[in-house]
Amino acid sequence: MTPIDESLISGRERLDEEMAALEGSIGYDETAYALPVTYAVTGMAVHDAGSAREAYAASGSSVLVAGECLAAAGYAAGGEEGEPYTGFVPDTVLRRLGYSLVDGSIAGIGLVAGSPDDADAAAAICREMQEKYLLTFLAGGVIQTLTEAGVKVGLEYRLVPLGSTGMAAIHFADIIARVAMMFGGVQPGDADRLLNYAAERAKAFVIAFPGLEDEEIAVIDGLRVLSIPILTPEGYEGGEWIRVPYLDAVREGMERRGIRVNVVAIPIPMACSPAFEGKSIRKEEMYVEFGGAKAPAFELLRVRPADEVEDGRVEVIGPEVGDLEEGSAVPLAILVDVAGASMKKDYEPVLERRIHTFLNYGEGSWHVAQRDLVWVRLTKDVVRRGVAIADLGRLLASKFRMEFPDLIDAVQVTLVTDRERVEAMLEEARAIYDERDERIAGMKDEDVGTYYSCTLCQTFAPNHVCIITPERPALCGAITWLDAKIAYEIAPAGANQPVEKGELIDPVLGQFEGVNRFVKKASHGAVDRVSLYGMMDEPMTCCGCFECIATILPEVNGIMIVNRDYLGDTPLGMTFSTLAGTIGGGAQTPGFVGISKGYILSDRFLQAENGIERVVWMPSLLKDELKGRLEEKLERMSIPELFDKIADETVAVSIEDLAEFLARVDHPALAMRPLI
Amino acid sequence: MSEEHNPEQGNRILEVSLGATTAEGGTRERVYTVGGAGTFPFLGAGPAAGHPPRIALEICDDTRTWSPIVLREVGDLAGDTGAWAAAAETTFGADMVRLFFTSTRQRGFDDFASLGTTMEEVIGATKYPLIVEGSTEPGIDSEVYRRIGEAAEGERILLGTAEADRYRSVAASALAYGHALVAQTPIDINLAKQLNILLHETGLPPERIVIDPYTGTLGYGFEYSYSVMERIRSVALQGDADLARPMISSAIDSLNVKEVREADPETADEVAIRWEFYAAFSALVAGAEIVCVRHPGTVALLREALPALQEGSHPQEEAYGDESA
Amino acid sequence: MAMKALDIYKLLPKTNCKKCGFPTCLAFAMKLASGKVDVDLCPDLDEQTRELLGGATRPPIRLVGIGAGERSFAVGEEFVLYRHERTFYHQPGLMMQVADTWPGERIERIMTRVRDETFHRVGEDLSVDGIAFRCESGDADQFGGVVGMVEACASLPEVVIADDPEAQAAALAHCGNFQPLIHAACADTVEAMCDLARKYGCALAVRAGDLEELKRLVGLCRDRGIENLMLDPAPATLRDFLVRSVEIRRRAVERTDPDLGYPVVFDTVPIDLPDAATALGILKYAGVIIIDELAPSSTMAALTLRQNIYTDPQKPIQVTPGLYPVNAPTGSAPVLMTVNFSLTYFTLLGYLEAAGIPCYLFIVDTEGMSVLTAVAGGKLTETVVADAIKKTDLENRVDHRILIIPGYAAPLSGKIEEETGWEVRVGPRDAAEIGEYLETGWEA
Ligand code: SF4
Ligand code: SF4
Ligand code: SF4
Repeated sequence: MTPIDESLISGRERLDEEMAALEGSIGYDETAYALPVTYAVTGMAVHDAGSAREAYAASGSSVLVAGECLAAAGYAAGGEEGEPYTGFVPDTVLRRLGYSLVDGSIAGIGLVAGSPDDADAAAAICREMQEKYLLTFLAGGVIQTLTEAGVKVGLEYRLVPLGSTGMAAIHFADIIARVAMMFGGVQPGDADRLLNYAAERAKAFVIAFPGLEDEEIAVIDGLRVLSIPILTPEGYEGGEWIRVPYLDAVREGMERRGIRVNVVAIPIPMACSPAFEGKSIRKEEMYVEFGGAKAPAFELLRVRPADEVEDGRVEVIGPEVGDLEEGSAVPLAILVDVAGASMKKDYEPVLERRIHTFLNYGEGSWHVAQRDLVWVRLTKDVVRRGVAIADLGRLLASKFRMEFPDLIDAVQVTLVTDRERVEAMLEEARAIYDERDERIAGMKDEDVGTYYSCTLCQTFAPNHVCIITPERPALCGAITWLDAKIAYEIAPAGANQPVEKGELIDPVLGQFEGVNRFVKKASHGAVDRVSLYGMMDEPMTCCGCFECIATILPEVNGIMIVNRDYLGDTPLGMTFSTLAGTIGGGAQTPGFVGISKGYILSDRFLQAENGIERVVWMPSLLKDELKGRLEEKLERMSIPELFDKIADETVAVSIEDLAEFLARVDHPALAMRPLI
Repeated sequence: MSEEHNPEQGNRILEVSLGATTAEGGTRERVYTVGGAGTFPFLGAGPAAGHPPRIALEICDDTRTWSPIVLREVGDLAGDTGAWAAAAETTFGADMVRLFFTSTRQRGFDDFASLGTTMEEVIGATKYPLIVEGSTEPGIDSEVYRRIGEAAEGERILLGTAEADRYRSVAASALAYGHALVAQTPIDINLAKQLNILLHETGLPPERIVIDPYTGTLGYGFEYSYSVMERIRSVALQGDADLARPMISSAIDSLNVKEVREADPETADEVAIRWEFYAAFSALVAGAEIVCVRHPGTVALLREALPALQEGSHPQEEAYGDESA
Repeated sequence: MAMKALDIYKLLPKTNCKKCGFPTCLAFAMKLASGKVDVDLCPDLDEQTRELLGGATRPPIRLVGIGAGERSFAVGEEFVLYRHERTFYHQPGLMMQVADTWPGERIERIMTRVRDETFHRVGEDLSVDGIAFRCESGDADQFGGVVGMVEACASLPEVVIADDPEAQAAALAHCGNFQPLIHAACADTVEAMCDLARKYGCALAVRAGDLEELKRLVGLCRDRGIENLMLDPAPATLRDFLVRSVEIRRRAVERTDPDLGYPVVFDTVPIDLPDAATALGILKYAGVIIIDELAPSSTMAALTLRQNIYTDPQKPIQVTPGLYPVNAPTGSAPVLMTVNFSLTYFTLLGYLEAAGIPCYLFIVDTEGMSVLTAVAGGKLTETVVADAIKKTDLENRVDHRILIIPGYAAPLSGKIEEETGWEVRVGPRDAAEIGEYLETGWEA
């Protein structure tokens, strides 16, 4: 075991001595950046021993500067190593490399240094790095170890042999320095920007094997200022180096620097594309089915800690497709475990819904419903072509990685077909579903400091902004607060943005200073203020895709709600579509507001106008749809009789009939403070 | 009479410079700056008027899908990309050439070396800033944009086209080889903002991005594009920095529409020119800083009309004038 | 400033008497707020309220009619500066000029063109709207003679361009009863021109290069009881027109300058950039555009631009649903289903024609929505497709049972198969790929 701390001290001393002894001219060819690290850090273009020492002093005796000056002095003295070593990488090659990094065809870069005792371990690490689209640089004995073990090295293999000693590690640093200057706009001499750039963008890590000399250790350790983690599987102790088993080294390095690989192909013998999304599988075409009403089945996606999720792992517990007879109905549990640094438990339901979409992408797979109601089929055709149950897992694992590259670092899928186990797990799953529902249902506006916006509809209604709160889902009914929050976290540049609600201006109207500020900006100045809980003063704008419209009926001092599916006339004298035509387009129309069905059940429903108690009319279709939940709500409010006092088209279509009906049933709205 | 309507004094369209002179590491004789306006097009006076718009003539390296009307008009030039490019500047009077590497759009394209050669040829044949369009196939983007970018290193070409799900190679090429890029988002203002943010994350500075709101052809959705351009400009002037970028407009399908394709051969040129002209001219009025057309005759017509839209007693000079060496 | 429905409602009688034709006062208020009806429809308003509501809800730009009969048109009644804010309602009339000094055949040729030349696009016949007579001879009799000659063989909307009231009088003697536009009164002639406008009851344009002077002229005309006015800002360059027309429109729609609340006339002839000026007039708020004799290639493009700009941005243009043969198909040709959103249709048609593959374009009614929105909005469903198959008698038109649907409609493929019994293939998402798809992926 080499103690890092001690090596650093003696390594630094050696570097100091060598710097003091430096003579003659110094420099690389084929670069416009002099000695790149030195140039980036100090702004000085070193060309001889004198200027090297000056720069070294100016850098505050940086080990990287020392290492670079010494290496470049070797070059100038003609000490360049020949094949297979590349030595200093010229600018032209580097530009391409930088290109590939931005372009994504290289996910990140790694340096493997030292002389591994175990050739297989080194080879395995390099292979893994190749597979993960990393460009690997090699410095020291590892190169010989690999070549002897039959591993091919060279730029074309994405294994770049820098030099025969650990000192070649300095070229790893000069590459990063040049990328920062070429691509990151870092000016020579602006060391702070360089460090910032490296911290934010350098997708790089080092794996150190045993056998490094003290000064090599010092130089490699120096890379840490560039936010490059140094991982070591064996041979070192102390210092800031991170010890990991060699099997985990690459994953650890990638995770620490947020390096992600874009999955491109799905490794299953079945085509997979949105084109197959709507294909249904008829009974005659089916080889096997899961769930439906015929066998217990469910799906569950859970967020797990990174060390419990092995990326890409797919396991089938119970019979595989080969063990099943044609036409059989089988139990199934689809368990998807995901891990990711920014994953949250809240995302589970949203991601879980994607299982449906993804399984339907398969040419011969079909999926309906969700949670414990799922029903999955596989066709004879694809089973004949070798598709197995495990392939559904592979499909899911790849698709989740592809669609959420920034969110999900690892996915593993377990498919259980064993009846007993499925039944046992089903209870557990149901408990989780209930818990999720409660969490959403119980959420109150005052519990959160941030609402979300949606501006998707600005395509059609240029100044429209939806503000979505836990108790006021979007007017289109498609987006809840949680959906919007997650959409934002998954795609921070998307149409859903966080809205700090800021100071409360009016608790009844639901006006917030922060919301107003946001709306003003997002509506391009068209809307100054918005009341979240009212329709008379500065109501929210309507884009046109509201599920329902709530309007006042001044004659009866009440509110009428009409939903999109109702085609008939209303007591206002306008149908849904004429109404929609007059209030849509992103305008604020006091007395009229677009709402979702869900909002009708909310405690915040138009509270500024006395909420549900003010509602005097809605189409029977809507009333039926909401019946159970609305009755429950009215029960809670101790006004169960209200349900029958709300008129529908069967009792009144004209305002006159409505007035009569309301008087007859003594609707509370008649006695409320006048709306106008 | 108040000659000016400036709703929000102060907000300006970002300026983007295209082309690099020898002193700047390129070989262009002119550098164009586009953008800078603080009002709706042609309404401003003085600095708020911004820089003059530019007219580009589109050419290609593989003419198989190019309009036969244009091919007839340019004759032998079509077989010699360099000469075609040179003629665009000298004979046809365009401010710049927009070169489409249409060869990359053939199935199974793999002659990557030709891209560099053609690029160098066109650079050698021209003196003004260039716009270059690469592949549309994600599978070859990486290679295509690297070759083009590398061959044009230092020239600060305007490289197209980045889209929300395909921007990395274009951005990488712009970053690595010092170019500007075109960011396209089909007729949606929110998507345009989103792409800007993605590009920002790659590290590309905003002064190197020109946005392309996508221009539908006259009679085939042009109205959407017209309004999107007006909206982008209006939102930009209200202070939305994400959209305060110069716009490029090209109704690329103009010469494929029925009206043009089926025109009487006698008048086909006239029809083609008008179809391009009405869209390009309208795009200028809606806020486009660079308009692109394919028929040389359209360039001439635009050339003639532009000065009459611009301020000042010598508009002609301004329209032709370059702003640097 | 415009009023909201509720504020209007507060001023109405609230009796729901239905005399306005609307079932409730609130419904009437909503229509009023959107400028779609006139306040006068409610008979029970006092004078003050009527005026207040009228001022706030009447279109900020007056509607002015030109011509009589079939091809007459009206301009004005616009509300916005940019079409994305709502829409532009009344497209400008293009009036092709003839001068009284021109030889008879030339005049006749133009007259015939204007009368007969139309071309058909997206379910509309497009044509130049009328004739503008320009007095260049300075001779009232000669001018009147030319107007009379044209008047005898065409009933077209007309503009009479003459600064001299006598020449106007001579022309109006022939055409005055057909609502021509009198162009144009200036400070010296305003009185005489107003007399003519009153006599014939037709619209009058006032002309001045300065907005204040224009407003003064408008005031003089109104004092003389002439309300049917148009404004000619007398531009010498394209930029003059742009700047002045924008300013007029802005002040009118902001209701800050009611004297500018009239449609604009753009005489493009003096500018000598016919295409650019015509396009600019269409884009920037002209109500009447006087053009020189443009070639058909120009009028076709100009009229198409006009059709585009005056399309309601919130209402997609539709194609009639049905079965459209492309490239002379036979019974075994592929059937490509898509929606009746015109853009989708034309884009697809363009690519199919270019590919030269015989096929049927099978358009189903999605109320003009694009594939994506129609699928999402439930406008494209298996029943819609099944109905369309029946309606078009598709089963007897082709000898196979394979339907190619757009890539974005893939989620419906199974349901369509079930409902129709046809085999469904999912085509590409992008119309540009259709040629390749048919070449490689299709066989019946
Ligand atoms: S209606 Fe729905 S989709 Fe449209 S902006 Fe609001 S939340 Fe977004
Ligand atoms: S109303 Fe519906 S269709 Fe219209 S923009 Fe909003 S979401 Fe889209
Ligand atoms: S006529 Fe007047 S009072 Fe009668 S319903 Fe109409 S708006 Fe109301």
